[in-house]
Amino acid sequence: MAFTLYSLLQAALLCVNAIAVLHEERFLKNIGWGTDQGIGGFEEEPGIKSQLMNLIRSVRTVMRVPLIIVNSIAIILLLLFG
Amino acid sequence: MAGPPRRLARSPQVGGHEVRDLELRGVHGAGMPASKRRVPVSQPGMTDPHQLFDDTSSAQSRGYGAQRAPGGLGYPTASASPQSAFLGDPVSNMAMAYGSSLAAQGKELVDKNIDRFIPVTKLKYYFAVDTMYVGKKLGLLFFPYLHQDWEVQYQQDTPVAPRFDVNAPDLYIPAMAFITYVLVAGLALGTQDRFSPDLLGLQASSALAWLTLEVLAILLSLYLVTVNTDLTTIDLVAFLGYKYVGMIGGVLMGLLFGKVVYYLVLGWCCVSIFVFMIRTLRLKILAEAAAEGIPVRGARNQLRMYLTMAVAAAQPLLMYWLTFHLVR
Repeated sequence: MAFTLYSLLQAALLCVNAIAVLHEERFLKNIGWGTDQGIGGFEEEPGIKSQLMNLIRSVRTVMRVPLIIVNSIAIILLLLFG
Repeated sequence: MAGPPRRLARSPQVGGHEVRDLELRGVHGAGMPASKRRVPVSQPGMTDPHQLFDDTSSAQSRGYGAQRAPGGLGYPTASASPQSAFLGDPVSNMAMAYGSSLAAQGKELVDKNIDRFIPVTKLKYYFAVDTMYVGKKLGLLFFPYLHQDWEVQYQQDTPVAPRFDVNAPDLYIPAMAFITYVLVAGLALGTQDRFSPDLLGLQASSALAWLTLEVLAILLSLYLVTVNTDLTTIDLVAFLGYKYVGMIGGVLMGLLFGKVVYYLVLGWCCVSIFVFMIRTLRLKILAEAAAEGIPVRGARNQLRMYLTMAVAAAQPLLMYWLTFHLVR
């Protein structure tokens, strides 16, 4: 599995890409994980589901632009070095 | 050219004091008086828990002071007599002074920027160990069943340095154990005629990747379960690095005595690490009530208990996975 640090980096990049391509309207809303459906009350205990939704939303917001850059670099490196 | 080697000659240093002494040496070039950077302490014999390392400056300051007093104003006047003998003209003196002040400025800039990315001062806490602590900690890693009190002592809101409390996490043992594991893996592969130098790098990279994966997985699950702990990332790296000690023990015994002994020793170390992790993490992850021994009901505490058990159970699995291919 995690043979080298480089393969770990590749796996992480693929996972973050997977989170970034989740479509808001067609998919997340249909399974009840939309960004406007989670923020319920302000109880003391958020619960795993709302934490996950928060995580997905923040990853998608924060990593939009850096992902473009990192993906381009990965594509160029793979084209050059195989 | 007998000058430069003599000027750069180092006074004898003990291992743990090198970091501070290098700091003092850097101050020399910047022209600041050395006394500003020295850690204040009453006597060399007494060590109060506030400072991480023993202060040996009183023993060495005499040697430093003699060198530093003429050097405080800068290099032109600091040139010792052997140097001035062949660097007589003032132009090269000026050039040397300029170069050395540039180097000192660069060093300060690098230090300031590095401190932003890697918390160097926080890292120093984890390396403030001494021989007795290492011995006791190693004993605890192999036999944690008799140890009663697992709490880390605090001192005015900051945990005490590892040399004063055997429960505090440190990074010295995990770092040394990791390097020793890579070397022992090379040795094991060599005895089976499977060795080549790039395999060492591959072993190191693989173990490091597993460690990173573990740290990320645990951080993610800590975030999801909303645990309010003071378990920092470096603490977590330290705790997860303790399993390398057991791995080294297992592989060495397996190399010396065969596969059965390897399984026995590895099994013993796995159980020890399991108990060690549970007892250590219980205090950090679970709520205070559970730490006192009272099992508190409730969904949150149950989740936290599962998380602790999962982290502790992952250690023996990884210990086996990373070593079974080394002993044939």
